[in-house]
Amino acid sequence: MAVIEARGLGKSYGGKPAVTDLSFDVRPGTVTGFLGPNGAGKSTTMRLMLGLDRGAGSTTFDGRPFDTIRQPMREVGALLEAKPFHPTRTARNHLRVLAAGHRIPDRRVDEVLGLVGLSEVARKKPSTFSMGMGQRLGLAAALLGDPHTLILDEPANGLDPQGIRWMRDLLKRLASEGRSVLVSSHLLSEMALMADELVVLGRGRLITHGPVAELTGRSAGNRVLVRTPQARELASLVGARLAGTGSVQATDDGEVSVTGLSAQEVGDLAFEHRIRVHGLTAQQASLEDVFLELTGGDEEFRARGAGHHEGGRA
Amino acid sequence: MSDAFAYEWRRITTLRSTWWLSIGAVVLGVGLTFLVAMALRLSGAEMVAEAMSADDSLIVLEMLTTQFSNFDPMFYLVAYIVAIIGIFSWGHEYRHGMIRATLTAVPQRRAVWTAKYAVAAGWTATVVLVTCLLSFAVAALWLAGLGLDVDLPALAAAVVRRMGYTVLLTWVVMSLTVLVRNQTFALVVMYLWPMAIETVVKGIFTIPGLSEHRELTRFLPFNAGGRIMQREPSADAVFGDPLNAVGGLVVFGLFAAVLMVLALALFERRDA
Repeated sequence: MAVIEARGLGKSYGGKPAVTDLSFDVRPGTVTGFLGPNGAGKSTTMRLMLGLDRGAGSTTFDGRPFDTIRQPMREVGALLEAKPFHPTRTARNHLRVLAAGHRIPDRRVDEVLGLVGLSEVARKKPSTFSMGMGQRLGLAAALLGDPHTLILDEPANGLDPQGIRWMRDLLKRLASEGRSVLVSSHLLSEMALMADELVVLGRGRLITHGPVAELTGRSAGNRVLVRTPQARELASLVGARLAGTGSVQATDDGEVSVTGLSAQEVGDLAFEHRIRVHGLTAQQASLEDVFLELTGGDEEFRARGAGHHEGGRA
Repeated sequence: MSDAFAYEWRRITTLRSTWWLSIGAVVLGVGLTFLVAMALRLSGAEMVAEAMSADDSLIVLEMLTTQFSNFDPMFYLVAYIVAIIGIFSWGHEYRHGMIRATLTAVPQRRAVWTAKYAVAAGWTATVVLVTCLLSFAVAALWLAGLGLDVDLPALAAAVVRRMGYTVLLTWVVMSLTVLVRNQTFALVVMYLWPMAIETVVKGIFTIPGLSEHRELTRFLPFNAGGRIMQREPSADAVFGDPLNAVGGLVVFGLFAAVLMVLALALFERRDA
């Protein structure tokens, strides 16, 4: 099974860097989420990996650059944009064209059309397709050669909730078969349910890369909430225990928020000092918390309005 | 390379535009021959034919077989129809974003480039061949029994020259499409350049002061290309004025080759 190794990827448009010295790996048997704000360089990176855009660096699939692989759709399936097909060629013929270069039989074309739920519209022109149907056809193209590696750019775009769930299950199943799946998405809730690992980009640079559990585990969004009538006393004890490695905040309505200690540690500390505790909750950081924490200030396009003020005018 | 050829062959044959342009070119070409041959026959051509020399017979049959393209400034209409298939072969890639799908299926850009030019050449040459053969058959039926001298080798050579011209024209407009990545532009240029631009340039060279250099206009690419097909008794030297068929082939062929090399260089360098 294939390992994707991206090394030193770089690309500029008119002197403005879109992707800078980006390196990461995608391991077999995992769904790797590719996250970043709009304009972070996710799509550019995927195009660089496949040799579609010319730029710096290299990407290998099992040690080979994409353009040296004969019949690459049998090894790497890609979905890069919605509706990449001629509008008057039928869906089935679109796939037959792609299949022709790989000597893939028509029965496999019919098979993948069935897999993505497009059998009934196989002989219709894609110009009549909704965006979701277009995405399904793109996914069918990516799966045509039964590849061990998938690179999918925003595959959930335009899919309805059932479609999104279907896609999530499909990608997880494909990964569980040992395939490498790299998927970009803006749907963080989906990514949280689907991804095993994350590659997070901001302004074309790698912000972090690692297992989802590890990234969420070290987020500042992980906290322990304590309800106690002795909030200030508990806060003071926790502050002494943390010694600057976490944070603690007490409110007047009897709530203490702690980061840097587990719920068990906070509970034990309260018990040792005979502090009454009415509630103890471990709050897990969501992927959204992690994403916003990691990419804060890295948005390429930021709306003016609540929460965003230009310097000096706040 | 064979994968790229298989891909391109299926790509071109699964487009309806390929078929209606090809069938349209054949129907138009053969239909025109049919009408003119019928008119000749019905207007008392027997009298004319009896007095015709072998050379005149060849001119008439070549004219009917090749859709009247043997005289300047007649355009070879069939070529200008089927060359659109070449424009579409690149134009659709860019217009519909298919180029990325193509290059993820066949990432070897030089192979994609070669397959496109070769398949388009084969297809357009075949359409010309079919049109000429059917036109000849129609002409032969209408003019049967008139005693026309049929010089088959000379007619075959005339057809081959049309096939060559059409392939070069197709390659020229394909390259223009790659260079600007816009099929509408290439389509407009294909008609505007020979019909308007070169005519204007020729007109400019009639102005006193430039008129003594008028013979340079024979190297205008589409003007030269036309010489591959046109009969011009005074064209007795390769690069004389006017150019003969070989001279036309060299000039138009070089023009096509330069555009093709530029197209390949840009296709390999650019983002898809």
